[in-house]
Amino acid sequence: MTPAPGPELPRPDPFKVVIVGGGTAGWMAASALVKLLPAQDYEITLIESDEIGTVGVGEATLPHIKVFNDTLGIDEAQFMRETQAAFKLGIEFVGWDRPDLRYVHPFGTFGEPWAGVDFQHHWARAHAAGRASELHDYSFAIAACRNNTFEFPNEDAKSIRATYAYAYHFDAGLYAQFLRRWAMPLGVARIEGKVVDVVRDASTGHVTSLTLASGVAIAGDLFIDCSGFRSLLVGGTMEVGWQDWSHWLPCDRALAVPNMRTEPLLPFTRLTAQEAGWTWRIGLQHRTGNGYVFSSHFTDEERARDVLLAALDAPPLAEPRLLRFQAGRRAAAWVGNCIAVGLASGFLEPLESTSIFLIQAAVMDLIGLMPTRRSGIDPRLAAEYNRLFEVHYDRTRDFLVLHYTANRRHGQPLWDHVRDMELPESLAHKIALFRASAAAPDYLYGLFSRDSWLAVLVGQGVLPAGWNPLAEAVPLDDLEAKLADLRYRVEVNAADMTAHGDFIRSYCPAPALEPAA
Amino acid sequence: MSVGVQHLVLLGRDAPLWLAASVLQAALKPAGVAVTAIELPSLLHVSDVYATLPGIEALHARLGLDEAGLLRATGGAFSLGQNFVDLFGGSPPFLSAYGAYGTPIEGNDFFPYWLKARGLGLEVALEDFSLTGVAARQGRVMIPDEASGAYGRADYGYHLPATAYAVGLKSVAARTGVAMRTANHIAIERGDDGDITALIADGERVPGEMFVDATGSDAALIGKTLGVAQDSWRVHFPADRVFAARAQPFATIPTYAELRAWQPGWAALYPSQAATHVIHAFSGALTEPEEALGRLGAATGLALGDAVLRPSDPGRRVQAWARNCVAIGAAACALDPIHNLDLHAVQLGLVTLLAHFPAGRDVAPNRDEYNRLMHSSFERLRDYQAAFYALAPYPGALWDAGRASPATPELAHIIATFRARGEVSPMEDDSIPTDNWRALLVGLGVAPESYPPRVDTTASDTVKAQFRAMLGFVKDTVQRQPTHAQVLGVANG
Repeated sequence: MTPAPGPELPRPDPFKVVIVGGGTAGWMAASALVKLLPAQDYEITLIESDEIGTVGVGEATLPHIKVFNDTLGIDEAQFMRETQAAFKLGIEFVGWDRPDLRYVHPFGTFGEPWAGVDFQHHWARAHAAGRASELHDYSFAIAACRNNTFEFPNEDAKSIRATYAYAYHFDAGLYAQFLRRWAMPLGVARIEGKVVDVVRDASTGHVTSLTLASGVAIAGDLFIDCSGFRSLLVGGTMEVGWQDWSHWLPCDRALAVPNMRTEPLLPFTRLTAQEAGWTWRIGLQHRTGNGYVFSSHFTDEERARDVLLAALDAPPLAEPRLLRFQAGRRAAAWVGNCIAVGLASGFLEPLESTSIFLIQAAVMDLIGLMPTRRSGIDPRLAAEYNRLFEVHYDRTRDFLVLHYTANRRHGQPLWDHVRDMELPESLAHKIALFRASAAAPDYLYGLFSRDSWLAVLVGQGVLPAGWNPLAEAVPLDDLEAKLADLRYRVEVNAADMTAHGDFIRSYCPAPALEPAA
Repeated sequence: MSVGVQHLVLLGRDAPLWLAASVLQAALKPAGVAVTAIELPSLLHVSDVYATLPGIEALHARLGLDEAGLLRATGGAFSLGQNFVDLFGGSPPFLSAYGAYGTPIEGNDFFPYWLKARGLGLEVALEDFSLTGVAARQGRVMIPDEASGAYGRADYGYHLPATAYAVGLKSVAARTGVAMRTANHIAIERGDDGDITALIADGERVPGEMFVDATGSDAALIGKTLGVAQDSWRVHFPADRVFAARAQPFATIPTYAELRAWQPGWAALYPSQAATHVIHAFSGALTEPEEALGRLGAATGLALGDAVLRPSDPGRRVQAWARNCVAIGAAACALDPIHNLDLHAVQLGLVTLLAHFPAGRDVAPNRDEYNRLMHSSFERLRDYQAAFYALAPYPGALWDAGRASPATPELAHIIATFRARGEVSPMEDDSIPTDNWRALLVGLGVAPESYPPRVDTTASDTVKAQFRAMLGFVKDTVQRQPTHAQVLGVANG
C-alpha cells in the first residue's frame, strides 16, 4: 500500500514562457506563474518597455483579487501600503435608473433564504404587500457603505457580519510595480526592450522568438500576449478576429484624471451616469481616481472634458488623459502557442471593475491548463481554455449591458439608444424571467452571483411582478417580523463598525506620494 | 398574493407520479394550490428497481419520509456506488462511489497528485482513497461525521424495489393531501388556444390550469396530446433492449451495485433486502432475447426469474414544458438504462419546477427557463451515459458499436480535455459529481497524457506522506463503520 518511489528521469530543459508586456496583466501573469508552477520546469521571462505606457485605469477590483493575492502568499497590509490601497465593499450607481436615484451593488448577500426559498422571493412578496422596505436595506455591506465604515468579515459564518466580501481600490501602476518587486526575486527574468519582430515556425505557424529593438532574440515555447490594446501576437501576428460588442456597449472613449483625496474615504466606487456615458470616482489613500467613459457617437471630447471636470469634488492634479477602445473580445484567446491576457484578449468598460478579474481568471485558467514539456503545445488544452474564456467574457457582458438598458433617463440620446436596442438573447431572457417571477440568474461558472444580479436588476428599476409561490410557506405576519429583525441586525451591527479612513490609518497607512500624473 | 395556478393536475403512474404529486403538494399547499393525481395502470414489474443518487434524500426529507421506514417498507438497501466489472477479464474492476476520492494536498485537488503518482508507478487504485469506495468494498455503510467531512464527501443512495417504493410514495401523497383518483381511460379537453383545460378520467372531468405529464415513455400529454417531438439519442446508445429480472437476495447484501460487461451487453445487479434485481441491456439486432436471457444467468451466476423484456429508445422531448403542461421523468427524457438514472431525472425535473413554478399570469419566462435548464441538464446526463459506451474497452459487436458511434461535441470535448490534462471540464447544469466522472473515465482506461503542473510544486516526500496518511485514515475510519446487516437490522427495528 505504500506509494512506489518514482524513478528519477533525466530532467528536460525548462519550458520557456515569454510574457510580452509589463502592465497589470503581465505582472499578474508572471507572479502567478512563477509562484504556482514548479520553478525547475518553467523559465519565465517578461519583456517590457519603458517607452510604452500602461493603461492602468482599472483601479477598482472585485473580491476575487484577494483570493489571487492570498494564493500567491502576498501580505495584505504591505500590498495595500505599497499600492495606496483602500477597501471596497461595493459600487454605488448614481443616476443610472433615473437621474435622482442611486443604489449600491454590494459585495455581499441580500437577506437569507427562508423555508428553502431565496430571499428575493420573500422580499418581492412582502414589498408588494407594503410590508418591506427597499431591497437594498437588507444588505449588510450596503449599510457599511452608507456609513463609510469598514471591518473584516466576521469569522462566524452565521453572523450578519460575515455576509460580505471586500475588494480594493488601488493604483494599478503601483500594483504592477509591487508584483514586479515581488516576482523578480522568485525567478522572473525581466527584459527591458521593445519587440520589433516576431519569428514564426514555417510549418506550425507557432511563434519561435521575438526580436527586440536591440537586436536580441528572445526564444520561447509559449508566449503570453499582455501587450494591451495592440494585441501584438494574438491580434497581430496570429490575426485572430475581433468580436465587436459596441452595438451593446457603445462607449468607446475614456478621459481619466486624478484629484486630491477628500474626506471621508469612501469604501466603495461611485459611478455616476452622465449624458453620454458615466464618470467614475475611486478613492485611494493618496488621491482620487476619476474618469469619464463616454461614447464618441453621443458627445465630443471637449464636451466630455467639461463634464468630467465638473464632476470632480476637488481640483484636478493633471490634465485629463484620453483612451480609445471598443467593447468586445477576440474570437479566441489562445491560438497556436500564443495566449492573450488582459486588454490583448478583449475589452469591457470598467463599469463593474472586471478588467483585473478577467486577467486573474485568464491566469488561473492558464495555470490549470499550462502546457508542460511533455504535453507540448496541445490544441486540446487551448480548446478548453478558450471555452472558459468565452464563458467569462460573455457572462460579464450581459451583466454590463443590463446597467445601460434598464434606464429611465428619457430624452438623453445615448440612454434612449441603449434602452431601445436589441439585447443579447441571453440577457433579454434573464430580465424577462426576473420581471415575471423574481428568479435571478444563478449559474455556477462565470462572473456575477445571484446577489449581484439582484442588486443591479432592482437598482435599475426592474421589479418582479411575481415571486415563487413556495414563498407563501412563510405567513405574511411572520415574514414581516423576520424582515424587521433582519433589518435591525443589519443596522445595529453596521453602526458598530470602524470608520473606513481610521481603519486604513491603523492597518495599512501608505507613505505620502507625489500625486501621479 | 400572486395569481397563478390554483389547480395542478398530474397524470401518470408509479414512483414518478407519486414523487411528483407529493413533492408538489407539500411545497405548494401554503400557496393554496390543490394537487390532483390521476393514476394510470402501473407499468411496473416485480423485478424493477430504482437506484437512487444521494440527492434523493433532500426530496425524502421534504416529504418527511424517514430512511429506516423507507428501507423497511420497501425492502430496500444502501448503495455506496457502482462497481464496474469486466467479465472478459481485460481490465480491473473499479468503483464509482458516491463520495470524494482523496483529500486536497496543499490546497490542491487530490486527483492530479494521484495521476502523477500513478504515472510514476503507484499501484494503489483511486477508490482506495475514497471512504465510500472502501466502505463499499467491505460491505459497510459509511456514516459521515465531522472527521470524515473534513476529509471529503461521503454520501450514499439506495436500491429500492420499484413497486414497493411506488406504494410507499402513494401513501405519502395521500398523507400530504393529494387528491387521488385512478383511471383506465383518459380523454383530454383543450381550450381554443390549445392549452389543456381538463383531463376526463374515466368520464369524470378534472379541470386545471396546469398539468404534469408523469406517464413515462408514453408521454400521453406532452407527446401524444401536444405533439412535442422527441429528439432521438439512438445513435449514442447501442443497447435497445432491456431485461429486468430478479433472484433471491444475497445472504450478505453488498452495499453497492455491480455492473458486469459481457458479450451481449451489460448486466447490472442491484442488491436489496427483498431481492437481487438485475437489469440487462443488449442490442436486439445482435442478440436474440432468449440467448441474452440465457447468457444472463451465466453472467450473474444467479437463478433468475420474473424476467420482463422492454425496448429502450433514449431521447429528449424538444420541450419538457409545452403550453401548460410540464413533463417529468421519462415523459420529458427517456434515458438509457446505464447507471439507472431514471429517478434522478425525475428529481432534476421536480427541483427545477419548484424553483421556477409559475408566479403569476406571465408564465412564458418560467417555461423558457425551465426548458433551458432541463435541456442542458438532460444533455449532461446523456453525455455521462454516452461516455460509458464511447469508452468501454470491451470486445464484441455491441461494444464496437458503442465506440464507433459519434460523440456529442460536449462529450468529445470532455474526453479530449481529460485525455490531454486529466481535468473534467466544468459544465453548467451537470449534476454528476466530478469525482464520478473521474472514476468512470479512469476506470474505463482513459489515461491522461499530462496533469496540472502545479502539483509538481509539492515535494514528493510530502505527497508520499500525505498519501500514507490518507490510506491510514480511510482504513481506520472504514473499520469503525457498521456493516450493512447492522444498519439494516437497526432500520428493521
